[in-house]
Amino acid sequence: MKTAALKIEKVSKSFSGLQILDRIDIDICKGERHAIIGPNGAGKSTLFNIITGLHRPSSGRLFFFGNDITRKSIHKIARLGICRSFQIINVFPEMSVLENVRNAIVSKFDRRFNWLSFLNSDEKINKEANRILDLCELGDVKNSPASQLSYGLQRKLELALVIAPDPILILLDEPTAGLNVEETRDAIKLIRQVTEGKTLVIIEHDMEVVFSLADRITVLNFGKILVTGTPDQIRMSKEVKDAYLGRE
Amino acid sequence: MNFRSCFKLKYFIIAGLTLIVLIFPLILSPFRLNLAIEMLIFSLFATSFNLLYRYSGLLPFGHGAFFGIGGYVTALLFNHLAHIPLLLTLSIAAIAGLVAGVFIGLFCIRLKGAYFAFISLAFQMFLYTLAFSWRTLTGGDDGMGVTRPDLDLPFLSKISMMDEGNIYWFILVIVILGIVACYFFLETPIANSIVCVRENEIRASFLGYDPFLTKLVNFSLASFLAALSGSLFVFFEKFIGTSSMNLDMSLTVVLMTVIGGSGHFLGPALGASLYILVQDWISNLTDRSWLIMGILFVFVVLYLRGGVISLFQSEKMGKIRLLIRGRGN
Repeated sequence: MKTAALKIEKVSKSFSGLQILDRIDIDICKGERHAIIGPNGAGKSTLFNIITGLHRPSSGRLFFFGNDITRKSIHKIARLGICRSFQIINVFPEMSVLENVRNAIVSKFDRRFNWLSFLNSDEKINKEANRILDLCELGDVKNSPASQLSYGLQRKLELALVIAPDPILILLDEPTAGLNVEETRDAIKLIRQVTEGKTLVIIEHDMEVVFSLADRITVLNFGKILVTGTPDQIRMSKEVKDAYLGRE
Repeated sequence: MNFRSCFKLKYFIIAGLTLIVLIFPLILSPFRLNLAIEMLIFSLFATSFNLLYRYSGLLPFGHGAFFGIGGYVTALLFNHLAHIPLLLTLSIAAIAGLVAGVFIGLFCIRLKGAYFAFISLAFQMFLYTLAFSWRTLTGGDDGMGVTRPDLDLPFLSKISMMDEGNIYWFILVIVILGIVACYFFLETPIANSIVCVRENEIRASFLGYDPFLTKLVNFSLASFLAALSGSLFVFFEKFIGTSSMNLDMSLTVVLMTVIGGSGHFLGPALGASLYILVQDWISNLTDRSWLIMGILFVFVVLYLRGGVISLFQSEKMGKIRLLIRGRGN
Protein backbone atom coordinates (compact mmCIF):
# COMPACT_ATOMS: atom_id res chain seq x y z
CA MET A 1 0.00 0.00 0.00
CA LYS A 2 1.19 3.48 -0.86
CA THR A 3 1.79 6.10 1.85
CA ALA A 4 -1.08 8.48 2.41
CA ALA A 5 0.05 11.94 1.30
CA LEU A 6 -2.97 13.55 2.83
CA LYS A 7 -5.12 11.95 5.45
CA ILE A 8 -8.40 13.61 6.23
CA GLU A 9 -9.79 12.18 9.42
CA LYS A 10 -13.41 12.68 10.47
CA VAL A 11 -13.41 16.33 9.45
CA SER A 12 -16.60 18.26 10.12
CA LYS A 13 -17.35 21.90 9.56
CA SER A 14 -20.36 23.95 10.42
CA PHE A 15 -20.92 27.63 9.86
CA SER A 16 -23.18 29.04 12.58
CA GLY A 17 -25.11 25.83 12.90
CA LEU A 18 -25.22 24.93 9.23
CA GLN A 19 -23.43 21.65 8.75
CA ILE A 20 -21.30 21.94 5.61
CA LEU A 21 -19.08 18.89 6.07
CA ASP A 22 -20.00 15.87 8.13
CA ARG A 23 -17.25 13.51 9.27
CA ILE A 24 -15.28 13.37 6.06
CA ASP A 25 -12.66 10.62 5.77
CA ILE A 26 -10.42 10.62 2.72
CA ASP A 27 -6.95 9.20 2.21
CA ILE A 28 -5.10 10.69 -0.72
CA CYS A 29 -2.27 8.43 -1.79
CA LYS A 30 1.05 9.74 -2.95
CA GLY A 31 1.14 10.25 -6.68
CA GLU A 32 -2.55 9.72 -7.26
CA ARG A 33 -4.98 11.97 -9.11
CA HIS A 34 -8.04 12.29 -6.99
CA ALA A 35 -11.19 14.04 -8.13
CA ILE A 36 -13.85 15.38 -5.83
CA ILE A 37 -17.24 15.80 -7.41
CA GLY A 38 -20.64 16.65 -6.13
CA PRO A 39 -23.50 19.06 -6.71
CA ASN A 40 -23.21 22.75 -5.81
CA GLY A 41 -23.09 23.32 -2.10
CA ALA A 42 -21.85 19.83 -1.38
CA GLY A 43 -18.88 21.28 0.53
CA LYS A 44 -16.11 20.68 -1.98
CA SER A 45 -14.54 24.13 -1.80
CA THR A 46 -14.97 24.21 1.97
CA LEU A 47 -12.98 21.01 2.13
CA PHE A 48 -10.18 22.71 0.16
CA ASN A 49 -10.34 25.70 2.46
CA ILE A 50 -9.94 23.44 5.45
CA ILE A 51 -7.03 21.51 3.95
CA THR A 52 -5.16 24.71 3.14
CA GLY A 53 -5.81 26.36 6.49
CA LEU A 54 -8.19 29.11 5.41
CA HIS A 55 -10.86 27.61 7.64
CA ARG A 56 -10.42 25.58 10.78
CA PRO A 57 -12.45 22.38 10.96
CA SER A 58 -15.07 22.22 13.71
CA SER A 59 -13.77 18.75 14.50
CA GLY A 60 -11.50 16.14 12.98
CA ARG A 61 -7.87 16.23 11.98
CA LEU A 62 -5.71 16.45 8.90
CA PHE A 63 -2.32 14.87 8.32
CA PHE A 64 0.15 15.62 5.56
CA PHE A 65 2.64 12.75 5.37
CA GLY A 66 1.99 12.10 9.03
CA ASN A 67 2.33 15.77 10.06
CA ASP A 68 -0.67 17.18 11.84
CA ILE A 69 -1.66 20.30 9.86
CA THR A 70 -5.07 20.81 11.42
CA ARG A 71 -4.34 24.09 13.18
CA LYS A 72 -1.45 25.39 11.14
CA SER A 73 -1.69 28.79 9.48
CA ILE A 74 -2.08 29.15 5.73
CA HIS A 75 1.49 30.08 4.92
CA LYS A 76 2.95 27.28 7.01
CA ILE A 77 0.80 24.71 5.26
CA ALA A 78 1.78 26.22 1.91
CA ARG A 79 5.46 25.94 2.78
CA LEU A 80 5.05 22.22 3.46
CA GLY A 81 4.31 21.81 -0.23
CA ILE A 82 0.55 22.11 -0.53
CA CYS A 83 -0.53 24.55 -3.19
CA ARG A 84 -4.00 25.37 -4.41
CA SER A 85 -5.80 27.20 -7.16
CA PHE A 86 -9.02 29.10 -6.80
CA GLN A 87 -12.43 28.75 -8.34
CA ILE A 88 -12.56 32.49 -8.90
CA ILE A 89 -9.39 33.96 -10.43
CA ASN A 90 -7.17 35.06 -7.57
CA VAL A 91 -3.87 36.47 -8.79
CA PHE A 92 -1.90 39.69 -8.23
CA PRO A 93 -3.86 41.89 -10.64
CA GLU A 94 -1.61 44.95 -10.72
CA MET A 95 1.56 42.98 -11.25
CA SER A 96 2.80 41.67 -14.58
CA VAL A 97 2.50 38.00 -15.42
CA LEU A 98 6.21 37.53 -14.88
CA GLU A 99 6.05 39.24 -11.49
CA ASN A 100 3.11 37.07 -10.52
CA VAL A 101 5.04 33.90 -11.19
CA ARG A 102 8.16 35.36 -9.64
CA ASN A 103 6.29 35.86 -6.37
CA ALA A 104 5.79 32.14 -6.23
CA ILE A 105 9.41 31.42 -7.14
CA VAL A 106 10.81 33.76 -4.49
CA SER A 107 8.76 31.91 -1.93
CA LYS A 108 9.86 28.54 -3.27
CA PHE A 109 13.54 29.45 -2.91
CA ASP A 110 12.86 30.78 0.60
CA ARG A 111 14.00 34.24 -0.38
CA ARG A 112 10.96 36.00 1.04
CA PHE A 113 12.97 38.00 3.54
CA ASN A 114 16.10 38.34 1.49
CA TRP A 115 17.30 41.93 1.42
CA LEU A 116 20.80 41.54 0.06
CA SER A 117 20.07 40.96 -3.60
CA PHE A 118 18.13 42.69 -6.34
CA LEU A 119 15.16 40.84 -7.64
CA ASN A 120 15.29 42.12 -11.21
CA SER A 121 18.86 41.03 -11.71
CA ASP A 122 18.56 37.72 -9.90
CA GLU A 123 19.26 35.16 -12.60
CA LYS A 124 18.17 32.09 -10.72
CA ILE A 125 14.73 33.43 -9.87
CA ASN A 126 14.05 35.01 -13.25
CA LYS A 127 15.23 31.95 -15.15
CA GLU A 128 12.98 29.71 -13.14
CA ALA A 129 10.05 32.11 -13.58
CA ASN A 130 10.56 32.12 -17.33
CA ARG A 131 10.71 28.35 -17.38
CA ILE A 132 7.34 28.15 -15.64
CA LEU A 133 5.90 30.76 -18.01
CA ASP A 134 7.03 28.77 -21.03
CA LEU A 135 5.67 25.60 -19.53
CA CYS A 136 2.27 27.24 -19.09
CA GLU A 137 2.42 28.91 -22.50
CA LEU A 138 2.41 32.39 -21.00
CA GLY A 139 5.77 33.53 -22.37
CA ASP A 140 4.23 35.89 -24.92
CA VAL A 141 2.29 37.93 -22.40
CA LYS A 142 4.75 37.95 -19.55
CA ASN A 143 5.01 41.70 -19.38
CA SER A 144 1.30 42.50 -19.40
CA PRO A 145 -0.47 43.21 -16.14
CA ALA A 146 -2.36 40.15 -14.99
CA SER A 147 -5.65 42.04 -14.88
CA GLN A 148 -5.47 42.71 -18.61
CA LEU A 149 -5.20 39.08 -19.66
CA SER A 150 -8.10 37.27 -21.25
CA TYR A 151 -10.03 34.95 -18.99
CA GLY A 152 -8.44 31.86 -20.49
CA LEU A 153 -4.95 33.22 -19.94
CA GLN A 154 -5.78 34.23 -16.39
CA ARG A 155 -6.79 30.64 -15.78
CA LYS A 156 -3.40 29.56 -17.07
CA LEU A 157 -1.71 32.06 -14.80
CA GLU A 158 -3.71 30.70 -11.90
CA LEU A 159 -2.32 27.27 -12.75
CA ALA A 160 1.19 28.66 -13.17
CA LEU A 161 1.04 30.10 -9.65
CA VAL A 162 0.08 26.69 -8.34
CA ILE A 163 2.84 24.72 -10.01
CA ALA A 164 5.60 27.34 -9.72
CA PRO A 165 6.46 26.57 -6.06
CA ASP A 166 6.94 22.93 -7.12
CA PRO A 167 4.45 21.60 -4.58
CA ILE A 168 4.05 18.01 -3.48
CA LEU A 169 0.29 18.17 -3.29
CA ILE A 170 -1.70 20.23 -5.78
CA LEU A 171 -5.29 21.22 -5.13
CA LEU A 172 -7.18 22.53 -8.13
CA ASP A 173 -10.58 24.08 -7.59
CA GLU A 174 -12.51 23.91 -10.86
CA PRO A 175 -9.58 24.76 -13.11
CA THR A 176 -11.73 24.68 -16.23
CA ALA A 177 -14.63 26.77 -14.91
CA GLY A 178 -15.77 29.22 -17.55
CA LEU A 179 -13.60 27.82 -20.34
CA ASN A 180 -15.00 26.69 -23.66
CA VAL A 181 -14.61 23.14 -24.96
CA GLU A 182 -11.36 23.76 -26.76
CA GLU A 183 -9.80 25.71 -23.90
CA THR A 184 -10.89 23.00 -21.49
CA ARG A 185 -9.14 20.37 -23.60
CA ASP A 186 -5.99 22.49 -23.64
CA ALA A 187 -6.17 23.09 -19.92
CA ILE A 188 -6.54 19.40 -19.15
CA LYS A 189 -3.59 18.57 -21.36
CA LEU A 190 -1.58 21.17 -19.50
CA ILE A 191 -2.72 19.96 -16.09
CA ARG A 192 -1.87 16.40 -17.02
CA GLN A 193 1.56 17.50 -18.18
CA VAL A 194 2.53 19.75 -15.28
CA THR A 195 1.21 17.53 -12.52
CA GLU A 196 3.09 14.49 -13.77
CA GLY A 197 4.44 12.59 -10.78
CA LYS A 198 2.71 14.83 -8.25
CA THR A 199 -0.28 14.25 -6.07
CA LEU A 200 -3.34 16.01 -7.38
CA VAL A 201 -6.75 16.69 -5.91
CA ILE A 202 -9.15 18.30 -8.30
CA ILE A 203 -12.67 19.63 -7.95
CA GLU A 204 -14.42 19.52 -11.26
CA HIS A 205 -17.90 19.60 -12.71
CA ASP A 206 -17.01 18.41 -16.19
CA MET A 207 -17.55 14.64 -16.05
CA GLU A 208 -15.53 14.02 -19.17
CA VAL A 209 -12.56 15.68 -17.51
CA VAL A 210 -13.06 13.86 -14.25
CA PHE A 211 -13.34 10.41 -15.74
CA SER A 212 -10.39 10.86 -18.07
CA LEU A 213 -8.06 12.41 -15.51
CA ALA A 214 -8.75 10.85 -12.15
CA ASP A 215 -7.40 7.65 -10.67
CA ARG A 216 -9.97 7.78 -7.92
CA ILE A 217 -13.09 9.81 -7.36
CA THR A 218 -14.86 10.91 -4.21
CA VAL A 219 -18.49 11.94 -4.49
CA LEU A 220 -19.71 14.45 -1.95
CA ASN A 221 -23.35 15.21 -1.34
CA PHE A 222 -24.70 17.49 1.40
CA GLY A 223 -21.40 17.38 3.22
CA LYS A 224 -21.20 13.61 3.32
CA ILE A 225 -19.15 11.19 1.30
CA LEU A 226 -21.44 9.21 -0.88
CA VAL A 227 -18.79 6.93 -2.26
CA THR A 228 -15.08 6.80 -3.05
CA GLY A 229 -13.72 4.61 -5.81
CA THR A 230 -12.16 4.25 -9.21
CA PRO A 231 -13.92 5.89 -12.17
CA ASP A 232 -15.42 2.56 -13.15
CA GLN A 233 -16.79 1.93 -9.69
CA ILE A 234 -18.29 5.40 -9.63
CA ARG A 235 -19.90 4.90 -13.01
CA MET A 236 -21.52 1.71 -11.81
CA SER A 237 -22.54 2.99 -8.38
CA LYS A 238 -26.26 3.17 -7.99
CA GLU A 239 -26.10 5.75 -5.18
CA VAL A 240 -24.14 8.13 -7.33
CA LYS A 241 -26.50 7.70 -10.22
CA ASP A 242 -29.43 8.52 -8.00
CA ALA A 243 -27.89 11.48 -6.31
CA TYR A 244 -25.91 13.07 -8.99
CA LEU A 245 -25.28 11.57 -12.39
CA GLY A 246 -28.78 10.28 -12.80
CA ARG A 247 -30.26 13.73 -12.92
CA GLU A 248 -28.64 14.57 -16.20
CA MET B 1 12.15 63.65 -28.00
CA ASN B 2 13.36 60.11 -28.24
CA PHE B 3 14.11 57.90 -25.31
CA ARG B 4 17.86 58.24 -25.50
CA SER B 5 18.02 62.00 -25.39
CA CYS B 6 15.33 62.00 -22.73
CA PHE B 7 17.44 59.62 -20.70
CA LYS B 8 20.48 61.88 -21.03
CA LEU B 9 18.48 64.96 -20.16
CA LYS B 10 17.27 63.26 -17.02
CA TYR B 11 20.80 62.65 -15.82
CA PHE B 12 21.81 66.15 -16.76
CA ILE B 13 19.01 67.58 -14.67
CA ILE B 14 19.84 65.30 -11.74
CA ALA B 15 23.52 66.29 -11.90
CA GLY B 16 22.60 69.98 -12.05
CA LEU B 17 20.20 69.70 -9.13
CA THR B 18 22.74 67.79 -7.06
CA LEU B 19 25.29 70.51 -7.64
CA ILE B 20 22.87 73.22 -6.61
CA VAL B 21 21.84 71.29 -3.51
CA LEU B 22 25.49 70.78 -2.59
CA ILE B 23 26.40 74.44 -2.75
CA PHE B 24 23.37 75.67 -0.82
CA PRO B 25 25.46 76.71 2.21
CA LEU B 26 27.52 78.95 -0.04
CA ILE B 27 24.63 80.72 -1.71
CA LEU B 28 21.82 80.78 0.83
CA SER B 29 21.36 83.05 3.82
CA PRO B 30 21.47 81.28 7.21
CA PHE B 31 17.72 81.54 7.52
CA ARG B 32 17.12 79.98 4.12
CA LEU B 33 19.70 77.31 4.89
CA ASN B 34 17.79 76.36 8.04
CA LEU B 35 14.73 75.98 5.90
CA ALA B 36 16.65 73.73 3.53
CA ILE B 37 17.80 71.57 6.45
CA GLU B 38 14.25 71.23 7.65
CA MET B 39 13.21 70.23 4.14
CA LEU B 40 15.85 67.50 4.15
CA ILE B 41 14.80 66.10 7.50
CA PHE B 42 11.14 66.02 6.63
CA SER B 43 11.91 64.52 3.24
CA LEU B 44 13.34 61.52 5.04
CA PHE B 45 10.41 61.45 7.44
CA ALA B 46 7.85 61.56 4.62
CA THR B 47 9.74 58.90 2.67
CA SER B 48 9.61 56.62 5.70
CA PHE B 49 5.90 57.26 6.00
CA ASN B 50 5.35 56.41 2.37
CA LEU B 51 7.22 53.15 2.76
CA LEU B 52 4.35 52.04 4.93
CA TYR B 53 1.55 53.86 3.16
CA ARG B 54 2.38 52.91 -0.38
CA TYR B 55 4.10 49.57 -0.11
CA SER B 56 1.99 48.01 2.62
CA GLY B 57 -1.17 49.99 1.96
CA LEU B 58 -1.31 50.97 5.63
CA LEU B 59 -2.21 54.53 6.58
CA PRO B 60 -0.83 55.30 10.03
CA PHE B 61 -2.13 58.34 11.90
CA GLY B 62 0.55 57.93 14.52
CA HIS B 63 3.76 57.94 12.54
CA GLY B 64 4.89 61.03 14.45
CA ALA B 65 5.37 58.79 17.49
CA PHE B 66 8.53 57.35 15.97
CA PHE B 67 9.81 60.77 14.98
CA GLY B 68 9.35 61.74 18.61
CA ILE B 69 10.98 58.56 19.94
CA GLY B 70 14.03 59.24 17.80
CA GLY B 71 14.08 62.81 19.02
CA TYR B 72 13.69 62.05 22.73
CA VAL B 73 16.26 59.25 22.66
CA THR B 74 18.73 61.59 20.98
CA ALA B 75 18.11 64.38 23.46
CA LEU B 76 18.44 62.05 26.43
CA LEU B 77 21.66 60.58 25.11
CA PHE B 78 23.15 64.00 24.44
CA ASN B 79 22.17 65.25 27.87
CA HIS B 80 23.04 62.25 30.00
CA LEU B 81 26.05 60.80 28.26
CA ALA B 82 28.61 63.47 27.59
CA HIS B 83 31.04 62.77 24.74
CA ILE B 84 28.85 60.19 23.11
CA PRO B 85 29.77 60.13 19.42
CA LEU B 86 27.23 61.74 17.14
CA LEU B 87 26.92 58.86 14.71
CA LEU B 88 26.44 56.40 17.56
CA THR B 89 23.66 58.58 18.96
CA LEU B 90 21.88 58.67 15.63
CA SER B 91 22.18 54.89 15.30
CA ILE B 92 20.88 54.25 18.81
CA ALA B 93 17.94 56.60 18.24
CA ALA B 94 17.07 54.91 14.96
CA ILE B 95 17.32 51.46 16.52
CA ALA B 96 15.13 52.63 19.39
CA GLY B 97 12.58 53.54 16.72
CA LEU B 98 12.95 50.11 15.19
CA VAL B 99 12.39 48.37 18.52
CA ALA B 100 9.40 50.54 19.28
CA GLY B 101 8.14 49.79 15.77
CA VAL B 102 8.33 46.06 16.37
CA PHE B 103 6.53 46.40 19.67
CA ILE B 104 3.78 48.74 18.49
CA GLY B 105 3.54 46.88 15.20
CA LEU B 106 2.74 43.65 17.05
CA PHE B 107 -0.49 45.29 18.17
CA CYS B 108 -1.37 47.32 15.07
CA ILE B 109 -0.39 45.22 12.09
CA ARG B 110 -3.25 42.76 12.27
CA LEU B 111 -5.71 45.58 11.76
CA LYS B 112 -6.57 47.26 8.52
CA GLY B 113 -7.85 50.59 7.24
CA ALA B 114 -9.41 52.90 9.79
CA TYR B 115 -8.76 50.49 12.66
CA PHE B 116 -5.07 50.48 11.90
CA ALA B 117 -5.01 54.26 11.54
CA PHE B 118 -6.63 54.80 14.89
CA ILE B 119 -4.76 52.24 16.93
CA SER B 120 -1.50 53.72 15.68
CA LEU B 121 -2.88 57.10 16.69
CA ALA B 122 -3.74 55.71 20.12
CA PHE B 123 -0.14 54.57 20.64
CA GLN B 124 1.08 57.97 19.57
CA MET B 125 -1.22 59.74 22.00
CA PHE B 126 -0.05 57.42 24.74
CA LEU B 127 3.58 58.27 24.05
CA TYR B 128 2.70 61.95 23.80
CA THR B 129 1.02 61.85 27.18
CA LEU B 130 4.01 60.03 28.59
CA ALA B 131 6.39 62.68 27.28
CA PHE B 132 4.07 65.38 28.53
CA SER B 133 3.67 64.11 32.08
CA TRP B 134 7.06 62.58 32.83
CA ARG B 135 8.56 65.96 33.55
CA THR B 136 11.66 64.69 35.33
CA LEU B 137 12.76 62.78 32.27
CA THR B 138 11.46 64.73 29.33
CA GLY B 139 10.95 68.20 30.68
CA GLY B 140 7.26 67.86 29.92
CA ASP B 141 5.74 70.81 28.19
CA ASP B 142 8.93 72.86 28.47
CA GLY B 143 10.91 70.36 26.51
CA MET B 144 14.64 69.88 26.69
CA GLY B 145 17.51 71.81 25.27
CA VAL B 146 20.53 69.89 24.06
CA THR B 147 24.09 70.77 23.18
CA ARG B 148 25.02 69.81 19.70
CA PRO B 149 28.17 67.67 19.69
CA ASP B 150 30.80 67.88 17.00
CA LEU B 151 31.20 65.16 14.46
CA ASP B 152 34.22 63.05 15.29
CA LEU B 153 35.11 61.01 12.24
CA PRO B 154 37.67 58.26 12.63
CA PHE B 155 40.97 58.98 10.88
CA LEU B 156 39.78 62.49 10.13
CA SER B 157 39.80 65.67 12.11
CA LYS B 158 36.85 66.85 14.12
CA ILE B 159 34.18 68.59 12.10
CA SER B 160 32.65 71.49 13.92
CA MET B 161 28.90 71.44 14.17
CA MET B 162 28.69 75.08 15.11
CA ASP B 163 29.01 75.92 11.48
CA GLU B 164 25.66 75.98 9.67
CA GLY B 165 27.22 74.77 6.44
CA ASN B 166 28.70 71.69 8.09
CA ILE B 167 25.38 70.88 9.72
CA TYR B 168 23.71 71.14 6.36
CA TRP B 169 26.21 68.86 4.64
CA PHE B 170 26.12 66.36 7.45
CA ILE B 171 22.33 66.13 7.43
CA LEU B 172 22.33 66.04 3.63
CA VAL B 173 24.61 63.01 3.66
CA ILE B 174 22.53 61.15 6.25
CA VAL B 175 19.24 61.93 4.53
CA ILE B 176 20.54 60.94 1.12
CA LEU B 177 21.97 57.74 2.56
CA GLY B 178 18.58 57.00 4.12
CA ILE B 179 16.65 57.71 0.94
CA VAL B 180 19.07 55.83 -1.29
CA ALA B 181 19.00 52.85 1.07
CA CYS B 182 15.22 52.98 0.83
CA TYR B 183 15.41 53.07 -2.94
CA PHE B 184 17.63 50.02 -3.14
CA PHE B 185 15.59 48.27 -0.50
CA LEU B 186 12.61 48.47 -2.83
CA GLU B 187 14.48 46.41 -5.41
CA THR B 188 15.05 43.47 -3.08
CA PRO B 189 12.96 40.32 -2.71
CA ILE B 190 11.73 41.39 0.70
CA ALA B 191 10.22 44.58 -0.71
CA ASN B 192 8.61 42.42 -3.36
CA SER B 193 7.13 40.31 -0.57
CA ILE B 194 5.74 43.46 1.01
CA VAL B 195 4.05 44.55 -2.22
CA CYS B 196 2.86 41.02 -2.76
CA VAL B 197 1.07 40.97 0.57
CA ARG B 198 -0.49 44.37 -0.13
CA GLU B 199 -1.68 43.28 -3.57
CA ASN B 200 -3.37 40.06 -2.53
CA GLU B 201 -2.87 39.01 1.04
CA ILE B 202 -4.76 35.74 0.74
CA ARG B 203 -2.98 34.58 -2.37
CA ALA B 204 0.35 35.60 -0.92
CA SER B 205 -0.28 33.46 2.15
CA PHE B 206 -1.16 30.51 -0.05
CA LEU B 207 2.21 30.97 -1.70
CA GLY B 208 3.92 30.77 1.67
CA TYR B 209 4.25 34.43 2.57
CA ASP B 210 3.60 35.34 6.18
CA PRO B 211 1.51 38.53 5.89
CA PHE B 212 1.93 39.50 9.53
CA LEU B 213 5.69 39.18 9.63
CA THR B 214 6.11 40.83 6.23
CA LYS B 215 4.10 43.86 7.28
CA LEU B 216 5.85 43.98 10.63
CA VAL B 217 9.22 44.18 8.88
CA ASN B 218 7.98 47.09 6.81
CA PHE B 219 6.43 48.79 9.82
CA SER B 220 9.59 48.58 11.87
CA LEU B 221 11.74 49.72 8.99
CA ALA B 222 9.52 52.76 8.49
CA SER B 223 9.80 53.42 12.23
CA PHE B 224 13.58 53.13 12.00
CA LEU B 225 13.77 55.84 9.35
CA ALA B 226 11.21 58.02 11.11
CA ALA B 227 13.24 57.84 14.31
CA LEU B 228 16.37 58.68 12.37
CA SER B 229 14.74 61.80 10.97
CA GLY B 230 13.48 62.71 14.44
CA SER B 231 16.99 62.29 15.73
CA LEU B 232 18.39 64.59 13.04
CA PHE B 233 15.68 67.09 13.87
CA VAL B 234 16.75 67.32 17.51
CA PHE B 235 20.39 67.47 16.55
CA PHE B 236 19.58 70.38 14.29
CA GLU B 237 17.08 72.24 16.49
CA LYS B 238 19.04 71.65 19.70
CA PHE B 239 15.67 71.22 21.34
CA ILE B 240 12.96 68.65 21.80
CA GLY B 241 9.45 69.36 23.01
CA THR B 242 6.17 67.53 22.99
CA SER B 243 5.43 69.22 19.68
CA SER B 244 7.79 66.70 18.06
CA MET B 245 5.47 63.91 19.06
CA ASN B 246 2.02 65.44 18.86
CA LEU B 247 -0.84 64.89 16.49
CA ASP B 248 0.30 67.70 14.20
CA MET B 249 3.45 65.80 13.43
CA SER B 250 1.54 62.69 12.41
CA LEU B 251 -0.92 64.59 10.26
CA THR B 252 1.70 66.81 8.68
CA VAL B 253 3.49 63.82 7.27
CA VAL B 254 0.25 62.54 5.75
CA LEU B 255 -0.29 65.92 4.12
CA MET B 256 3.28 66.09 2.86
CA THR B 257 3.05 62.67 1.28
CA VAL B 258 -0.29 63.23 -0.38
CA ILE B 259 0.70 66.66 -1.67
CA GLY B 260 3.95 65.37 -3.10
CA GLY B 261 2.44 62.19 -4.48
CA SER B 262 2.63 58.79 -2.83
CA GLY B 263 2.79 57.00 -6.17
CA HIS B 264 6.36 58.01 -6.90
CA PHE B 265 9.34 57.17 -4.77
CA LEU B 266 10.47 60.80 -4.56
CA GLY B 267 6.95 62.20 -4.24
CA PRO B 268 6.95 62.43 -0.43
CA ALA B 269 10.35 64.15 -0.40
CA LEU B 270 9.09 66.68 -2.90
CA GLY B 271 5.89 67.08 -0.89
CA ALA B 272 7.81 67.65 2.33
CA SER B 273 10.02 70.27 0.70
CA LEU B 274 7.08 72.05 -0.89
CA TYR B 275 5.11 71.91 2.32
CA ILE B 276 7.86 73.56 4.31
CA LEU B 277 8.46 76.18 1.64
CA VAL B 278 4.80 77.04 1.27
CA GLN B 279 4.23 77.06 5.01
CA ASP B 280 7.14 79.39 5.52
CA TRP B 281 5.91 81.65 2.80
CA ILE B 282 2.34 81.68 4.10
CA SER B 283 3.30 82.19 7.71
CA ASN B 284 4.92 85.43 6.62
CA LEU B 285 1.56 86.57 5.30
CA THR B 286 -0.90 85.17 7.80
CA ASP B 287 -0.87 83.16 10.98
CA ARG B 288 -3.55 80.82 9.65
CA SER B 289 -1.19 78.65 7.67
CA TRP B 290 -3.08 75.44 8.40
CA LEU B 291 -6.09 76.83 6.59
CA ILE B 292 -4.08 77.41 3.43
CA MET B 293 -2.33 74.05 3.73
CA GLY B 294 -5.73 72.43 4.13
CA ILE B 295 -6.97 74.08 0.96
CA LEU B 296 -3.84 72.98 -0.87
CA PHE B 297 -4.43 69.45 0.38
CA VAL B 298 -8.03 69.46 -0.83
CA PHE B 299 -6.93 70.81 -4.20
CA VAL B 300 -4.35 68.07 -4.64
CA VAL B 301 -6.75 65.34 -3.58
CA LEU B 302 -9.45 66.57 -5.94
CA TYR B 303 -7.53 67.68 -8.99
CA LEU B 304 -4.07 66.18 -8.77
CA ARG B 305 -4.46 62.69 -7.46
CA GLY B 306 -0.90 61.69 -8.18
CA GLY B 307 0.39 64.65 -6.21
CA VAL B 308 2.65 67.41 -7.42
CA ILE B 309 5.21 64.94 -8.71
CA SER B 310 2.77 63.65 -11.30
CA LEU B 311 3.24 66.96 -13.09
CA PHE B 312 6.76 65.89 -13.94
CA GLN B 313 5.87 62.37 -14.93
CA SER B 314 3.51 63.00 -17.79
CA GLU B 315 5.65 63.85 -20.75
CA LYS B 316 2.98 63.07 -23.28
CA MET B 317 -0.05 64.65 -21.76
CA GLY B 318 1.53 67.92 -20.90
CA LYS B 319 1.29 69.66 -17.61
CA ILE B 320 -1.57 71.96 -18.42
CA ARG B 321 -3.82 69.28 -19.80
CA LEU B 322 -3.19 67.18 -16.75
CA LEU B 323 -4.15 70.06 -14.55
CA ILE B 324 -7.37 70.66 -16.45
CA ARG B 325 -8.37 67.02 -16.63
CA GLY B 326 -7.31 66.50 -13.06
CA ARG B 327 -6.31 62.90 -13.45
CA GLY B 328 -2.94 62.27 -11.97
CA ASN B 329 -1.59 58.79 -11.95
